[in-house]
Amino acid sequence: MTAITQKLEQAYKQAPWRTQVQWSGMFLLVVISFVMVAGLYLSISAQAATAGLDIQDLQVQKDETTRRMADLRNQLAYLTSDQVMEKRAKDLGFKLNRIDDPTYLIIPNYAGRELASMAPPPGLDMIPSPVLRPAYTQSLWEWLFQGVLSYSDPSLGANQ
Amino acid sequence: MSSLSFFRLKVMGILLTIVGGLIILQVIRIQNSAEARSLSADAIKNYDYEERKIYPERGSIFDRWGRLLAGNKEVYEVGVDIRYVKNPETIAQMAHEILELDYDTIYNRITKDYVNSNIQYVVLSDFVPLEKITAISETKENYKRLTPLNKGEKLPSLEGVLWTPHLQRSYPENALASNIIGFYSYKDRDQGRGYFGVEEKYNDLLAGSPIIVQVPRDPYKVREVPTVAPGASIVLTIDKDIQANMESIAANAMKRNGATSVTIVVMNPKNGEILAMASTPNLNLNEYWKYGEIFPDPTPFNRAIGQTYEPGSVFKVLTMAAAIDAGVVTPDTPFLDTGEVEIGGYTIYNWDRNAWGPQTMTTCMQHSLNVCLTWVAQQLGPTRFYQYLQAFGIGRKTNIDLAGEVNFPLALPGDNNWYPINLGTNSFGQGVAATPLQMITAVGALANDGKMMAPHILQSVVENGRQYNNTPQVIGNPISAKSARTISQLLAVSLEEEASDALVDGYRVAGKTGTAEIPGPNGYVSNLTNASFVGWGPVDDPRFVVYIWLEKPKSSMWGSIVAAPVFSQVVQSLVVSLKLPPDTIRQGLVQK
Repeated sequence: MTAITQKLEQAYKQAPWRTQVQWSGMFLLVVISFVMVAGLYLSISAQAATAGLDIQDLQVQKDETTRRMADLRNQLAYLTSDQVMEKRAKDLGFKLNRIDDPTYLIIPNYAGRELASMAPPPGLDMIPSPVLRPAYTQSLWEWLFQGVLSYSDPSLGANQ
Repeated sequence: MSSLSFFRLKVMGILLTIVGGLIILQVIRIQNSAEARSLSADAIKNYDYEERKIYPERGSIFDRWGRLLAGNKEVYEVGVDIRYVKNPETIAQMAHEILELDYDTIYNRITKDYVNSNIQYVVLSDFVPLEKITAISETKENYKRLTPLNKGEKLPSLEGVLWTPHLQRSYPENALASNIIGFYSYKDRDQGRGYFGVEEKYNDLLAGSPIIVQVPRDPYKVREVPTVAPGASIVLTIDKDIQANMESIAANAMKRNGATSVTIVVMNPKNGEILAMASTPNLNLNEYWKYGEIFPDPTPFNRAIGQTYEPGSVFKVLTMAAAIDAGVVTPDTPFLDTGEVEIGGYTIYNWDRNAWGPQTMTTCMQHSLNVCLTWVAQQLGPTRFYQYLQAFGIGRKTNIDLAGEVNFPLALPGDNNWYPINLGTNSFGQGVAATPLQMITAVGALANDGKMMAPHILQSVVENGRQYNNTPQVIGNPISAKSARTISQLLAVSLEEEASDALVDGYRVAGKTGTAEIPGPNGYVSNLTNASFVGWGPVDDPRFVVYIWLEKPKSSMWGSIVAAPVFSQVVQSLVVSLKLPPDTIRQGLVQK
């Protein structure tokens, strides 16, 4: 038994409150640890719930936007419909183009009016796919592993 | 502390510990009982997730330039959650004033019906436009701000009134191209489908596939709801401006001539694209439930594809084309018209019952002589004549991509319903029936160097962000290119020599009138006729084929009088819409 141990034992024997403080400290440590874990859990849970509600909210907004777009397209089509445009043209003093009215000109390299092109043809990969940063999909272990790798080999770069 | 007190405390402690332990045991037992498991499963099933059926947005329909013909607009379902209703009288009053519903009916539904059946949600009205929702919303907010003047005063309130948005099929052009588009029965939100036209033909494509998803109520379990791809959109070959002009010309022709109906079809002979297809009557597609009223049985929705008729002399074009292609005749082949010809024991006469004397094939067509065409068919012989008709697609559906196409079978030699006289009558378009579309498809071959193109209305499909174009298809070569050009020249000359009302200054066109008697139960006894015209132009480089049919015109029975001027009107409108310069200018431009 070393001298230090003897001194400690003597100190505890001489002052029992030190034992009580030690126990109290340990108890408080456990409580604080528990509170910290619980706080962390609550914080993450709250964030998850908020994110969940945000997703629901965005989903509703997306549906609303889809409907609104369809509705606006329809309104635009109505405003440019045959009957409405004919009335507007008449009100503005235009008259119907007759067979003798047009004057034809040569426009070099003009191929004529193009047919409706609503989307790219198949085979052309022009639509960018959504890009998620790896940080959103990596596990903690993967992130650490990647970090260590990039630290040891800078050519790999930080993969955030 | 005495030993007795300590003992009592000890007993109390033991008892309380036992009670506490028993409580914990009971909690564990209850939580693990069969009832608890069942209750938990029910709670998860009924409250954790909501089952939702997601209908994709129905695809849009566009004309060839991308102008919307059928789309969707936002409307609302207005209902009442009866649990939150504070003042049913106010709701009934609002329903009466804003939604134009009966006060008593609504009042009973949200009071008595609720008590009787214990229902919680009542639909007041559906397909309500945004303006009315705005009015309801403002009224509801105004009522919320009211405060009672006396204790117990019942304030007006719209608490419990809810509105849910959804999409409704909409046709911004109302009746324009209605016979082509068809309609979607949007009022039936679960079982709605397309009827007639492209709405029916491409219903599955436009509708997309609805999916059922489990949407979690628990925010911890929320995931992105799977995206439902909207239905495919389709781009048609029709040009909205040309269609509008054709419908206007058809309506005027019908009114002017007192016809039962008018049908006009315009096709590009080079690729089979239908540029316009006007047929009377029309239907405002936003009020599709009036279909039965506007189309009483057996009125077809689109006569261009849905009704066969005996086309009469326009059919002579096919007979003459076949004979020229077979080498039986040339435009200058002489023929002595005696005014009658006997075939199969019957005598066939000309339309005026006169003898026209020495003729050529060109003048036979110019004067539309039945006797001459019967002779031509006889020169061909029944075998070759009917082979040519079959090659032209007569007696067979064109398989155009529109719902409701009909066909009348072609009686062939050897069939029970074929007699030798059929060769004669068929040669000038009687005793044989076809739709206007079958006729224009066949005649399109004459305007396209003998190549018969598949008529089609679909230009492209837009699905999953990609546009898939429809490729034109050749469905036959009934005659050679040389024969096609010969018959085109023959018919252009015959129109010019006749000084037909179909002619258009500056544009050389080929064509033929037709006046057909209408068969009834007692034969061809009616004075009413079907007047038709088929023509194409410009002759040296055809850009359009036009088929016109006036059913039972009253102003005159003759196609040359009622249908030919309509053709001229159509061409005058078409060349402007197609930006087609007069022949001399165009040929000058080509040379430059």
